[in-house]
Amino acid sequence: MGRYFDELSKDYRFKEGLKTCINCGTCTAICPAAEFYKYDPRKVVDTVQRKDDGEIEALLKSETIWYCGECMSCVTRCPRGNGPGLVIMALRNLSARLGYFTASEKGRQLWPLTKTLNNNILHTGYCIHPSTFDCDEYPESGPVTRWVMDNKEEVYGRLGANYEGKGPGVLRHIPQQDLDELQAIFDETGGTERMEAVERASREKAAELGMDFEEYTKYTYEHCSVGHFNDE
Amino acid sequence: MVNRNPVIAVIGAGIAGLEAARQLADLGYSPVLIEKEPAVGGHVAQWNRLFPDMTPAAEVIDALKKQTAKIRTLLGTEIASINRLKDGFSLVLTDGTSLLCQAVLFATGFQLFNAAKKEEYGYGIYDRVITNRDLEAWFNTRKDKRIKQPEAVGFVHCVGSRDLKAGNTQCSKVCCITAIKQAIEIKEEFPDAEVYCFYMDLRLFGKKYEDFYIKAQRDYGIHFIRGRVSEVGEAIDGRVVVKAEDTLNGKPVKVTLDLLVLMAGVVCNPDAQHYARQVGVSVDDDGFLKSRDNIAAITESSRPGVFFAGACTGAKTIPETLAEARSAALNIHHYFNKRK
Amino acid sequence: MIYQGKQKIWADYQKEIPDDHWFYVRSCIRQNFFPASEKYFLAICRDQLGRDIYESEHHTTCAGIAYHCDTIPQETAMTVVARQFALMTEAGYENLVTSCITSFGNYTEILETWRQFPELEEKVREHLWKACRREFKKPKYVAHASDLMYKLRGEIAERAHFQLVHRATGEPLRIVEHIGCHYSKMFPHKGVGGAEYPCVLSGMAESWGGRVIDYPERRHCCGFGFRQYFVKANRGYSLSNTHKKFESMEPYRPDVIITNCPGCPYFLDRWQYVISEMEGKTYGQNGYGIPVLTYEELAGLVLGVDPWDLGLQVHQVAVEPLLDKIGIPYDPARKYLGMDEKKIMTPGLPTSLKCF
Repeated sequence: MGRYFDELSKDYRFKEGLKTCINCGTCTAICPAAEFYKYDPRKVVDTVQRKDDGEIEALLKSETIWYCGECMSCVTRCPRGNGPGLVIMALRNLSARLGYFTASEKGRQLWPLTKTLNNNILHTGYCIHPSTFDCDEYPESGPVTRWVMDNKEEVYGRLGANYEGKGPGVLRHIPQQDLDELQAIFDETGGTERMEAVERASREKAAELGMDFEEYTKYTYEHCSVGHFNDE
Repeated sequence: MVNRNPVIAVIGAGIAGLEAARQLADLGYSPVLIEKEPAVGGHVAQWNRLFPDMTPAAEVIDALKKQTAKIRTLLGTEIASINRLKDGFSLVLTDGTSLLCQAVLFATGFQLFNAAKKEEYGYGIYDRVITNRDLEAWFNTRKDKRIKQPEAVGFVHCVGSRDLKAGNTQCSKVCCITAIKQAIEIKEEFPDAEVYCFYMDLRLFGKKYEDFYIKAQRDYGIHFIRGRVSEVGEAIDGRVVVKAEDTLNGKPVKVTLDLLVLMAGVVCNPDAQHYARQVGVSVDDDGFLKSRDNIAAITESSRPGVFFAGACTGAKTIPETLAEARSAALNIHHYFNKRK
Repeated sequence: MIYQGKQKIWADYQKEIPDDHWFYVRSCIRQNFFPASEKYFLAICRDQLGRDIYESEHHTTCAGIAYHCDTIPQETAMTVVARQFALMTEAGYENLVTSCITSFGNYTEILETWRQFPELEEKVREHLWKACRREFKKPKYVAHASDLMYKLRGEIAERAHFQLVHRATGEPLRIVEHIGCHYSKMFPHKGVGGAEYPCVLSGMAESWGGRVIDYPERRHCCGFGFRQYFVKANRGYSLSNTHKKFESMEPYRPDVIITNCPGCPYFLDRWQYVISEMEGKTYGQNGYGIPVLTYEELAGLVLGVDPWDLGLQVHQVAVEPLLDKIGIPYDPARKYLGMDEKKIMTPGLPTSLKCF
């Protein structure tokens, strides 16, 4: 038994997601990522099932495992009760833990993601918050979102939100004591450790690429090479 | 007390029951055929042509009917209850009568998997989705408004078979050969149609089955796509849209078809499971009735006096079923001889 | 299409949804982008229909988005959720209703995982105690807010001021229903109607007079893809998947799209704007888009709530053509006002997509 396979086997999503794969392709047939990206969930599961350290290490360092959108459409249909989406989550988490994610362009994106989402959670108690939503980073959100964000208090107020207010309500201010509990949870359960590991590996990668860290953060967030999509 | 003319209750008058009854009668016994449908012949009577030689099913059934014409047959009759006695069994039938017998032969056959349970295939929801049974019936009757000059026809293998979510993890054995047979028949009917078989594996284990595959490819240009159908949708014109992966090319495919045939698999008849428990015979984990031994004693149960023939113990082909029917008759003969 | 076939399936997947006494947890995305939706969920279910729905001011995100972006380990996600359960237990509730579909999937997945692996539940209890001295009982029922509204659809229909019918022709509106992937794809039996023909939204739409249309890509993910959207470099994936759905539904000429996930209406709405900017193509009639509504907004409209109170002005695709079709009155002058009828600046308009 390969050591990567053993590590993966400790992840409960892996326990749920990998039973035995017969390569029927039911998952790939309806996978949104397989249609557009050079991605095939069946092949990922089949590779992992072979338990070969070399192949799994290659996967952990590849672009492949980062194409999945975690929609779980594959889980509904698999005749053997597998869940490629769950296997992907286990692979991603192992890749993050081991620092292998910096070996791929899509993997490197884990840093700006971790930074934004986890900081939102720990500082506001929301995964997304108007105070950190920069419309320039989301031009597709349209002129109407820009209007909302430029007139937050008025628009949210008019719509009955309790924006940044005390007590219950939409977009209420989440009390610091609750945010402290979230921080404690992160510290206790390895969330903080994970953030540190991802940052550390990313800093190393930035140095290797000769970029300053802010530049690296922006670059990994924005840059998309040619070659990821099926028609490229 | 010795019964000089033992009675055997043969549950089911499909080909297994008919053949076994014929043998038992020839051996001098009194079989009684109990059949829930209004006619004998079971599933095979509904079919059109049989692999490998394209024998008309009617020929097989007519021969069996002729040979069993004199055997006591209770049509349209089911079993209300069945009890084991000291030296035999007592059956109470739904026609109000009761039957005392010294042996019971389960020839209850299979039930076709209810394709509507595979909701993602849209049987009973989309108009152009039919099953293998519907298609076979059409070959006989030519009456099915869903089948109208199709230009593109698809066959979906493994519907309700090898499928944890459908509740049947076993292979139903006969669907691959049936799919290819029906695909060829469709091509003969509609020579310009494109015909696709969507399969996971092609299980063509039987005598001359591989010839069908060769013929399908060489003479009929049938397309074989190695990918299990994941989802069926309906386009605005009523045609069905099928999603699968062409696993040999590693690419998802979407095919629009005029007709989709679901190869529904075989599961155990739930009535059989019910009666089996009443006589103390277990149901195996594949849902079929449990034989005493899967190699050496497939037609015997673990209880004295209870025997099996045909699909009640698992998916079977016709020649296998007929062979088991004769074998079970012989088992019953030995059983009675030993008790004398 | 044989409608009775669908009804048989719906009958197989009936989920038990308690009638009352719910602990409500909010959605990050809904609060940001559809703020009045949650307000009206509570206004309808609590104030109009008299149900007890409680919100703790101490609850937080369930961190589901972070979980599916793989920025936090599973145990962190589970412990954050355990804290939500602790707040629910403390408040004396045993039914949990989530506003977000990812949350619903997350809570359901966590409970199922604990059922199968009780040692993990024990571990999380320990984590929660060590981190914040809290204890919890697991909820007896977890439902999504759309399940609750589905259950109450009859009561809403009784009080409806408007029907989902084209006022001029009397024809039921042609409605595309889009169910969030995490609602029933992972656990079909936890969704009303299962994974293939969920009826949580179609049930509401039909009760209120509309006609639901099926189209080939109905079950397809909107393409949110978590990291595939949040990271700018990946957004092509998200756009491509939504585009695919629009191309598939276009021949059916839908009047409106309704969704139950918080993210999906954002994507189905905004990507129409992007497609119009990139290709000049729009999917509604006469250069408009197809309006996208959340189920709370749909219920609100049917009950006669003012569209601008419902927050429809914060959608990019114009809803006015739909309001006109149904015959719902609205005051264009009040659309972009701030608090207390204050006049504030109005949003810019897209170059291609027709908006007001």
